[in-house]
Amino acid sequence: MQIRHQISGRLRSVLIELVSMEDYKMITKSRFFFNWKTEKQYQVYKLSIIGDKEILGLMSLEHFRNEKRLEIKLLAVSRENRGKHKKYEGIAGNLIAYACREAIRLYAENACVSLIPKDIIRNHYMKKYGMMDAGRQIFLEGLPLLRLLRTYKV
Amino acid sequence: MKTQKLNKKYSPSELADSFVFRTKLTAKQKKEAAGQLAKARKRAGAQLTEAQVVYARIMQLRFQMEDYIKSDQYKVELTFSYFLKQYIQLRYTMNKKFARDIELDEAELSFILNKRRLPSEKVIARLGLHSNNTIPALSWYKLLEKEREHDFVNNDKLMESESKYVKNRLKISR
Repeated sequence: MQIRHQISGRLRSVLIELVSMEDYKMITKSRFFFNWKTEKQYQVYKLSIIGDKEILGLMSLEHFRNEKRLEIKLLAVSRENRGKHKKYEGIAGNLIAYACREAIRLYAENACVSLIPKDIIRNHYMKKYGMMDAGRQIFLEGLPLLRLLRTYKV
Repeated sequence: MKTQKLNKKYSPSELADSFVFRTKLTAKQKKEAAGQLAKARKRAGAQLTEAQVVYARIMQLRFQMEDYIKSDQYKVELTFSYFLKQYIQLRYTMNKKFARDIELDEAELSFILNKRRLPSEKVIARLGLHSNNTIPALSWYKLLEKEREHDFVNNDKLMESESKYVKNRLKISR
């Protein structure tokens, strides 16, 4: 899994792993927009460049075992990686692809990843990540989910 | 910064590249959303071909292997032969046919599956090629190394038998 440095175009390999209690000291609202301490009830993952401790993105997942589904509750990239002048490209995509990886690891062909989008960005998730419409929610399952794994070289 | 300020600062596309926002639903909305998702999933699930189902299961096995290799724990049941059996069962009903497809003697495969012989590097390379690198040869190699490392560390008899050959040992004050 890799992210692209916008200026140089260089690809950097990334690591996605569970957030530790120690990490919460570094996770501030000013950098990651939300209060992430409220997400401790879910599984919270961090993305960083291999060999570098700095966290570049966060995602929390809720597990619906009966439905063989993971729901992305919250996701944020660090402040310097948003907008036109972001430092690295592909942080959110890699985190979403990692959610798909976890769903496949648990449920193989029945794996599903969903999220409840804000209306104004709903179509962008669908276009960029191949998510499908399910009314209030959008989701990845089957072929689009497998395609996303391939796109992000999971 | 409130969400409204974010909406002014970033375009919708930039927001989708940076966030998934928290959304609270009422109990009624949750029920409605669950029903809609269940219907949509039924349609999507039916689209997978048999080959894609097998591919998804092989990916599942790969991720389980990778997580196990990465973990600090050693589990006696999660051996090379365990994962190999799982891999074979995804596409074959008979081990003999799999042995033929990777040009391995059937007896040799049986020895590996019954933990009576360790696989050679050639076998490991063929496993990676057989899955078209869906499970890379390196993952099989690392899995075997984990098993060998555990066996070595716990081989007290080896240490005892080799002890008599070692003289002039480094003295460390404790």
